[in-house]
Amino acid sequence: MRYIPNTEEQKKEMLEAIGVGAFEDIIKSIPEKVRVKGELNIPPALSESELFEKIFGTSKKNIDFLSMKPLIGGGAYRHYVPEVVKTVLSYPEFYTAYTPYQPELSQGTLQTMFEVQTHLARLTGMDVVIPSMYDGASAAAETVLMAMRLTHKNKVVISSLVHPHYIETIRTYTEPHGLEIVEVAFENMLYSSAIHAPFQWITDFTELEKAIDDKTAAVIIQSPNFFGGIEDIERISQIAHTKGTMLIQVVVESMSLGILKSPGKLGADIVAGESQSFGMDLNFGGPYNGYIATKQSFIRQLPGRIAGETVDRDGKRAFVMTMRAREQDIRREKATSNICSNHALNLFAIDAYLSLLGANGLYEVASLNARASHYLMKQLVKTGKFEGYAYPFFNEFILKTSMDIESLSDKLVQNGFIPPLRVNKFMPALERHLLFTVTEVLSKQDLDRVVEIAAGER
Amino acid sequence: MKLIYEKSVKGRVGYSLAKDNFGEIRLEECIPSYALSKEKKALPEVSEVDVVRHFTALAKMNYGIDTGFYPLGSCTMKYNPKINERLASLDRFVYAHPLSDERNVQGSLEIMYDLEQLLKEITGMDRLTLSPAAGAHGELTGTLIMRKYFEDLGRPRHKMIIPDSAHGTNPASSAMAGFNIVEVKSNENGTVDIEDLRRLMDEDTAGMMLTNPNTAGIFEENVVEIARIIHEKGGLLYYDGANLNALLGIVRPGDAGFDIVHLNLHKTFSTPHGAGGPGVGAVGVKKHLEEFLPGPLVGKCSNNLLKKSVDHKGLEPTPEKRDSQKNESAEKEHDSQNSKYAFEYPTKSIGRVRAFYGNFSVLVKAYAWILSIGREQAREVAEMSIINANYVMARLKKYYRPAYDRFCMHECVLTGRDYKGYGIKTLDIAKRLMDYGFHPPTIYFPHFEPYAQETIMIEPTESESKETLDEFIEAMIKIAEEAKKNPGLLKDAPHATAVRRCNEAKAALEPILKYTK
Repeated sequence: MRYIPNTEEQKKEMLEAIGVGAFEDIIKSIPEKVRVKGELNIPPALSESELFEKIFGTSKKNIDFLSMKPLIGGGAYRHYVPEVVKTVLSYPEFYTAYTPYQPELSQGTLQTMFEVQTHLARLTGMDVVIPSMYDGASAAAETVLMAMRLTHKNKVVISSLVHPHYIETIRTYTEPHGLEIVEVAFENMLYSSAIHAPFQWITDFTELEKAIDDKTAAVIIQSPNFFGGIEDIERISQIAHTKGTMLIQVVVESMSLGILKSPGKLGADIVAGESQSFGMDLNFGGPYNGYIATKQSFIRQLPGRIAGETVDRDGKRAFVMTMRAREQDIRREKATSNICSNHALNLFAIDAYLSLLGANGLYEVASLNARASHYLMKQLVKTGKFEGYAYPFFNEFILKTSMDIESLSDKLVQNGFIPPLRVNKFMPALERHLLFTVTEVLSKQDLDRVVEIAAGER
Repeated sequence: MKLIYEKSVKGRVGYSLAKDNFGEIRLEECIPSYALSKEKKALPEVSEVDVVRHFTALAKMNYGIDTGFYPLGSCTMKYNPKINERLASLDRFVYAHPLSDERNVQGSLEIMYDLEQLLKEITGMDRLTLSPAAGAHGELTGTLIMRKYFEDLGRPRHKMIIPDSAHGTNPASSAMAGFNIVEVKSNENGTVDIEDLRRLMDEDTAGMMLTNPNTAGIFEENVVEIARIIHEKGGLLYYDGANLNALLGIVRPGDAGFDIVHLNLHKTFSTPHGAGGPGVGAVGVKKHLEEFLPGPLVGKCSNNLLKKSVDHKGLEPTPEKRDSQKNESAEKEHDSQNSKYAFEYPTKSIGRVRAFYGNFSVLVKAYAWILSIGREQAREVAEMSIINANYVMARLKKYYRPAYDRFCMHECVLTGRDYKGYGIKTLDIAKRLMDYGFHPPTIYFPHFEPYAQETIMIEPTESESKETLDEFIEAMIKIAEEAKKNPGLLKDAPHATAVRRCNEAKAALEPILKYTK
């Protein structure tokens, strides 16, 4: 077997050194009763070339996503990933390493963590960053637990415009801890007649304010929200803070931070983010990378790993994992979280991506996303086939249509576009609504073609 | 080494963008003033070549399996096959959008479905979720399933039994799932004290989390009795699969009385650890727990197995208030599709544990590994990992007294306690190993009185040749001599690394957690 180097001869020598005649003598303590009789019923081994053929063949049952332009986002965004990012991710000293428990052999990982902590602190306007959680949804759930620990309160008020997968993950994580979760409507079309929000597709401030009481640990708002809508975080933070409640801002499309004011500056207490847009491919939903950013004062309640600067015995700058006393391997059931493995490899992608783009590049890409998506919305509304909404959004927007959506989707696929998300997949009442996403991978020509296709449909 | 920020030069560019043809659209018209930042974010400005050299230099300061022997106990640092990286990076996988129509991702769904079937056979369980992102995430999933199971029976339970030898994640995960932790002791053989367990197990205890082989590298030989004790009181037995590598093809947890297992695909199934992740903590359950699994799972459309308990409508389950609004057309749309594989949602599910479905690229690698190993060699993996560990122990036990002097499974636990008299700690031994070109083993874990102190836990895996082990053993023997003759050499170690021994106390006392200039 190509992955097992010892020969039969060596095996014998080793058994001799161990002092047994046969392998069986070593595992005598395993009762007969629980042993596998014969071989496992799995397929016989494939050679490397057979393996390639098989899995390559299976991959062809997916459509050719690379040659198609996506109009879909909804928490997973196709941005262009510079080749350098892939080169960096292919360095075996990174991807075949373990967690940096031994700093003297892990400075590459630790310095990268530290650099990403710096990047994300600057983007979010926060003091401290936990750079890697599993994803944005689990990071969001962890921040809710964190807010419960910080406030000793057991209720949260969450906007219905937080990504549905995130809301569900928060429910799963908090269910054992008796958390009351109040969902605030985004616009009252569905639930009542009055609209208190300044725009549709934005969290209803009045409802939000009403829902907060003195048992409330935190308000959870996503911005840009599930429909791409940009929430007025400053105003929401005033509402939350006036009522003595923490504000958690969820950021799923972190690309938006390139042009938007930092959550920390607007008054958010904790940011739970997803950084997939910073150099990670779609990969059918994972692995992505979550992060948590917060203020200095909440540092002891943070879950997860963090790198800190120190010196080695010669006084040279070095990096280590620090504030470890919060973690499970030291505190066991009293730890701030059970998290051990995270999504560290993606930190190399984030670091490389944000370093390449830099201050100007990130601004320009984010700006391009915003302006291109606004262009598409205007053009689509002009066709008369869609009902548009005047609301502030980043790179995703919602349109209502009376067209045959199935047929439009098919037409888009035939022309090389992944159709927009049908919102009723998550919110059945919004059955005629489409969520369009536009990133820099779509050119103006592409967008004009989309408009042309839509205009030609019934 | 300089930080990327210290290499920044104003105006330097490392990116290129497609021509911006949207000049007529002004950003100020798109983004309201309450949200639009007036300044750009202060990221570094470096060139493409700067970035490449930066990371190449950082890589040189790192140590991976491809660098050399990495005998980190409990971590199963086996070789990560290159072909698997290639397969996981096939375009049609990499660019697949998670919310695209199921008809367009049949290849991805097939991989997930097939991998689940293979893992069912390997573990002896009836159904698995591939969603959890790591071992601890799997533990949380598994313990939430236990919680929900008892709630569903109308008899919630509040305690979880965990051996003192367990990984810290076990108690931490159980606590996150709302359980109070009850610790069961290890006996003089390094296994669970059965009498203690019998005393502790009661009808308010959901069950027990057990790692087998345990963290002392010893097979819990009373596993059948343990299962009986737990089941007699109506409890569930949870298998922590961190150490499954030792049992591949020898024992299936499902045949040994376990009700729930989690597998670390980044351990036994060869996917790279990525400097700390991503992994996959797949969770398998027996039939009576299937409907509690987190969704979605992948099913075959013709598969009636879960028909009764699973929502086949292809809609994301939504909170109750929207439930009544499920519309007919979406259902019809799905029915008209002719998909072979589709997502399905268990009805009593604990709910999602993350966004989307799992770390797909990691799943491809684990799948590829199982197909490469095949039925003929599955057991060979376990055998060789066990022989390698016992060989290291046999040759080193004269120098480093084992925590338990008996055969081990895939890892052996030695100790550095005989060198205390020379002022040497296990930490010094570990740091000195770096000078010999090896990554140190896991140290100070497991730790429990009185047997396991100053521990050195060595897990060679099946990937290592006898020659590599011999070199490692020689280095360990030399270090043992040095400890006696020249202890300063160990205390000052490492000498040959990019940085020398790091001041962790300073980092904790005066935290510097980002670059501030």
